[in-house]
Amino acid sequence: MSYRDVFGEILADHYESPRNFGKIDHPTKVEQGYNPLCGDQVAVSVLVKDAESACPMIDQCSFEGEGCSICLASASMMTELVKGHSREEALQLIEAFRQKMQGAENVPGLPSDTSEEDLVALYGIRRFPVRIKCALLAWTTLKKALDA
Amino acid sequence: MNEIVRKDFPNLERVIDGKKLCYLDNASTSQRPKKVVDATIKYYTQMNANVHRGVYHLSQEATDAFESVRGKIERFIGASSEREIIFTKGTTESINLIASSYGEHHINKGDVIAVTRMEHHANFVPWQQLAKRKGARFEIIELTSDLRLDPKEVDRVLALRPKIVAVSLLSNVTGVVNPISSLAARFKMVGSVVVVDAAQGIAHGEVTIERLGPIDFLAFSSHKLCGPTGVGILWGREALLEKMPPYQVGGNMISHVGDFDSEWNELPHKFEAGTPDIAGVIGFGAAIDYIETQGRVRIESYEAKITEYVLDELKNVPGVRLLGPAEVHHRAPIFSVAIEGVHAHDLATFLDMQGISVRAGHHCAHPLMMKLGLPATCRASFSFYNNMEEAAIFIQALKDSQVFFARKVKPTPITQAQGKRGIV
Ligand SMILES: Cc1ncc(COP(=O)(O)O)c(C=O)c1O
Repeated sequence: MSYRDVFGEILADHYESPRNFGKIDHPTKVEQGYNPLCGDQVAVSVLVKDAESACPMIDQCSFEGEGCSICLASASMMTELVKGHSREEALQLIEAFRQKMQGAENVPGLPSDTSEEDLVALYGIRRFPVRIKCALLAWTTLKKALDA
Repeated sequence: MNEIVRKDFPNLERVIDGKKLCYLDNASTSQRPKKVVDATIKYYTQMNANVHRGVYHLSQEATDAFESVRGKIERFIGASSEREIIFTKGTTESINLIASSYGEHHINKGDVIAVTRMEHHANFVPWQQLAKRKGARFEIIELTSDLRLDPKEVDRVLALRPKIVAVSLLSNVTGVVNPISSLAARFKMVGSVVVVDAAQGIAHGEVTIERLGPIDFLAFSSHKLCGPTGVGILWGREALLEKMPPYQVGGNMISHVGDFDSEWNELPHKFEAGTPDIAGVIGFGAAIDYIETQGRVRIESYEAKITEYVLDELKNVPGVRLLGPAEVHHRAPIFSVAIEGVHAHDLATFLDMQGISVRAGHHCAHPLMMKLGLPATCRASFSFYNNMEEAAIFIQALKDSQVFFARKVKPTPITQAQGKRGIV
């Protein structure tokens, strides 16, 4: 039995090769996220274009940090997903993902369970209730960065 | 000893997802033998009444059952009187009681309060906050590289003549056993009040006041010693307790309440405001009986065998870092491990998939974990009802985890094109 057998290729791949891992130049905001229960720690950076306009856009998003495989793979997927979206869309996505992970079904605005999007691989983490907060850490951190 | 013993613990029979439960989180809370559960049920079904209140028969029965546990605890730890045994809701409350009642009235600006680097938050934060409130100096006795108390640090802090020194008998993170009697003797010489957190220690050996030396306060919880949750003990020297003001005020702890002032009940009731966890205390009494039947010396020597086995086997698991000393005589069967490249949470989930319950995290010991630069470890903690087979299952799972988590990390640069990939 391997990690891939249980958690799937997609999660393993994002854990092994996290996307957008590192710093971005001249970020608009860097927010720290910390899970005091398990010590997971991520820093999420965003570069927001047209920040003063009616529709600010996320130009770049990256993360750094230490954490378990679920925390890091989730952060990696998130940075891929929000890039190129408006701030508003990103906030909606974050909220939708939070609801999904906390048990809601058929959440609008999220890939469906049968979709081929990477994010679907994280839905399986709902089987491990204590790990849901690992999957949410980067997302709540990005929300803080965008809210501020 | 334990094939017979295991039958006393119904929960050990549990099968989860087709795997036999292998409960290795005893440092968090122990399992409870049926006798303990029966004793609490018996209280609720056959004598249910409040204590120290009624003049009727049932209340007297409940009071007798409740108070008889005080005597059991007194004998269990070798206290000099039942007046020294105070029921609390756990170690945390016991220590808060000392910090609030004794600390608030005896600590002044500039005094020194000392703890050690290995303390659980329960024996760290109350002292840190007391020091902060009073403008006292808060000192931390640092550890050696194998995470035992550093003798040089003990000397340094002794020279500061702390008013209070708070130290655990046994670390819940590393399993290190501290030499309390010699520490207490030395700190007494400089006038310190010595507080011992025996939350873990109480479950792993014959803990008596005599063996602990000239200590002043001792705190422990029922739920780590096979008893119910919600019950703890504070033992204190009568002369000190006598002089201390109440911790909480209200029912049971008063002798007279006037319109504008009140007088306090005598020890130990002065510190027991309100209706206690009667069923819990009675269950704790059954737990003490149970432990005495097994024999604490017997438990200790059996556990030493488990410790020796695990220490030996861990040497053959590459990539595993064990926190704390590798010699059996310095430690209890509590093993915190960190595996190179595997996060403690991932490891704990992997172990859980094999039915092995361990704790992953910082174990309520931030000051130690931060010093070690470790966000989290996985901790397996054994009890006398665990068997060698379980120890072997744990070791094998650690070995298997390395195959399970084998990976090649190849971070992709941020600038890389973000193509979408399908499911493999
Ligand atoms: C060393 C130590 N001290 C104190 C405590 C706190 O005990 P309780 O939660 O029962 O109050 C614990 C519990 O984990 C402990 O291990």
